[in-house]
Amino acid sequence: MINIKQVTRTYGTKTAVDCLDLHVRRGELFACLGHNGAGKTTTIKMMVGLLQPTAGTMEIAGFDVVTEAREASLRSGYVPDEPYLYDKLSGREFLQFVAEMYGLPRDIASSSIDKQIHDFGLGGFVDQLAESYSHGMKQRLVFASALLHDPELLIVDEPMVGLDPRSMRLVKDLLKTRVRNGGTVFMSTHTLAVAEEIADRIGVMSQGKIQFLGTVAELREQLSSDDSLEQLFLTLTEEEQGSYIS
Amino acid sequence: MATAEIQLEAPATKQLPSTGSEARAFWMLRARRLNTMTSHALRSMRVQLVSISVASLVMWLGLYILFQQGFQFIHTGLIHAGMRTQFVHAIFNVFFLALTVMLMFSSAIIMYGNLFKTEEVRFLLTTPSRPERIVIHKFHEAVFFSCWGFVLLGSPMLIAYGDTALSPWYYYVLLIPFMLAFVLIPAAIGAIACLLVVRLLPTVRLHALVILAGLVIAAGVYFGWHVLAYQNRNLMTMTWFNDVLTRLEYSEQRLLPSWWLSTGLLEAAHPSPSTTGRPAWRESFYFLAVLASNALLLQLILAMVASRCFRVSYSELQGITRTTRNRRVSWIDRGVGLVCRPLPATLRMFVIKDLRLFRRDPMQWSQFAIFTSLLLLYFFNVRRFDYAGTLEQWVTVISFLNVAVVGLILSTFTTRFIFPMISLEGRRFWVLGTAPIKRDLVLWGKFWFACVGTIPPCSLLVLASDISLKIATRLPLVAAIHQLTCWVLCIGLAAMAVGFGARLPNLREPSPSKIAAGFGGTLNLVLSALYIMAVVLLTAVPCFFWTEKAWLSQIHPSASIIFGGTIGLGTPGAVILGVSLMLLLAAIATIVPLRIGIRAFRRLEF
Repeated sequence: MINIKQVTRTYGTKTAVDCLDLHVRRGELFACLGHNGAGKTTTIKMMVGLLQPTAGTMEIAGFDVVTEAREASLRSGYVPDEPYLYDKLSGREFLQFVAEMYGLPRDIASSSIDKQIHDFGLGGFVDQLAESYSHGMKQRLVFASALLHDPELLIVDEPMVGLDPRSMRLVKDLLKTRVRNGGTVFMSTHTLAVAEEIADRIGVMSQGKIQFLGTVAELREQLSSDDSLEQLFLTLTEEEQGSYIS
Repeated sequence: MATAEIQLEAPATKQLPSTGSEARAFWMLRARRLNTMTSHALRSMRVQLVSISVASLVMWLGLYILFQQGFQFIHTGLIHAGMRTQFVHAIFNVFFLALTVMLMFSSAIIMYGNLFKTEEVRFLLTTPSRPERIVIHKFHEAVFFSCWGFVLLGSPMLIAYGDTALSPWYYYVLLIPFMLAFVLIPAAIGAIACLLVVRLLPTVRLHALVILAGLVIAAGVYFGWHVLAYQNRNLMTMTWFNDVLTRLEYSEQRLLPSWWLSTGLLEAAHPSPSTTGRPAWRESFYFLAVLASNALLLQLILAMVASRCFRVSYSELQGITRTTRNRRVSWIDRGVGLVCRPLPATLRMFVIKDLRLFRRDPMQWSQFAIFTSLLLLYFFNVRRFDYAGTLEQWVTVISFLNVAVVGLILSTFTTRFIFPMISLEGRRFWVLGTAPIKRDLVLWGKFWFACVGTIPPCSLLVLASDISLKIATRLPLVAAIHQLTCWVLCIGLAAMAVGFGARLPNLREPSPSKIAAGFGGTLNLVLSALYIMAVVLLTAVPCFFWTEKAWLSQIHPSASIIFGGTIGLGTPGAVILGVSLMLLLAAIATIVPLRIGIRAFRRLEF
């Protein structure tokens, strides 16, 4: 579903992503971990078409994200860490706009919007202007809009930030259900407990490179430790962590 | 949120939206947002709406009367109809050419902010929208923002001309399509330039912008100088008109959209058959078609450029290495620190912080540059009315007029740059609100920032005007009153912008230009204009009667009771009274808004 080959992305003289090779299979929940500035968000921004790789190629569902950006985005849904909503549109109007952007026929758009409103419990506020929404309400609406066109791949950047425990539970259930039904999820997170709980595979990034790629069990095996993912992560990225605190 | 069974659609059934449905979606988006904002404004902002409408109407009527009088003056001054039309054509050409340059520049700046700095575009780029659709969507937004100013300034002039020339009804009907087609041309050129500069010169885009701005200002000053440097004393004679027309020839290039617009409008304004033998209205439609087709062609070119380079430009711009600031304090900050030495250290830091934020934001200082160039251009004009000229008796009036112009342009500065500062500070209040400082200091910082930034340049401009008009040597007391008036204006306008900015903040809007264009900004602008008029009149009237008493007694001996005697308007006592009243008004205009602002800011919840 995601094919990243030798991708490099630089910001001036700084290399944010360095010769990254990654393949995420269809029906997999992949969690991308790493400290701040490790290259996770840059990787996601390239996947959704906001940035273009300096070198290498990146494909989503077989479509190149640079030369076939629109085809690629048609097959993916994106939930950013800081979502944008039109303040002067209601939730329903926003969903209608997104449905048109993704080329959904009117009848399918209408039933899909009703379904998302039901699934995400938006009924109580979907006809109010987005300017009055709380962070949790906004996050639910953004999830609904990302799933409106039923994408094969869901890309989520820090999905748990600012959510209460109930909403976190709901997001975890949603991601698991999505994968169980054949979808693919690429998630970037600092919430290691969530990654440990729901991810099929994790990738630990550091200085733009993948330091580890595999399951949590494989990581334990590699580090010969039975610790939690949090401890394993800290051990793996010890050097960077040390330099930050000092 | 129910985790219902999800059936993923087969990939083959997914289809990209057609161009038509994409366009419809964006139009629907715009219509819905406009509808929501209009109904919200009608429901909860009635007072603001009425105030803005009344202020706009008053301004429109004022401009209409001014232009109407001007055209009437030309009408009576120039008996020969052909010469009259030629002269008006030249005026229109220059006006629309100046507008073309300003619209190009402002469109490029607005488009840069709209395309590369907004959250909306970041969101849209992650959807399957075509990049050219996103650019056109933001382009129409920029045109709308540029257009309303043009309509407000241009329509009274054009309608006044139509009334003076007794134009047929279709002249008025054609005004809107002409203006709309015209605005699109410079706006599209500016937008294309913006995309190309970011694409081709991403690392030096700011330098490119500075060079472009420099060239535009230099060209404006050159043409202004070229036209205004003419010193013929025999005003309103045929020789003078011919000379002025020769000097304005540069604006008559047949490839300029400004020429198409002025020619098309004048053809519609005059019902007599044109030189080509075709009816005037047909000639007018021909020019409208030329304007519209060029506007549409440029929009197509913009879409083509956008489809090729917008995504890659956006990506490249994110890849620019951020400038690392020198740890040492810059010479500007050291200079400001020196000027503000008498202020407490915290206040000084606020002033320096605001200056840093201002000069590192190209959107802010580029618009500042446009205002400054307009002010400078005006002051080149001062040379035209030198002391040795035929208008010697009116030198005092002209000198006070210069002070009023400085004040009026200053009020646009304070409304555009100082008024939004409090609203913008509100968004960063987590750092100020939790610091162990008094909230009042934030406002005092803005106030001193405005005073330090405006008093020296305004004072120098007024001094330059007084030297040019020989007021400084001939009437030093009047020159001193000018300086006092200028300081009073700077302090009062700064206090009003800061005070009203704190009383009527807009904490949701991140764009300073949109904050300034809102109700609070408009109210501040209107009150500032009233304050300037009152302050200048209080000093200008007694000073004029006092300095020109002898001349006035000669031409109006019967009216000497008004300005003569021991209690007349032309006595030193009247001047002292005028200055005292001005100081009293200035004290009120400074203290009251600041107190209102400080009280509101203390209560403000973020």
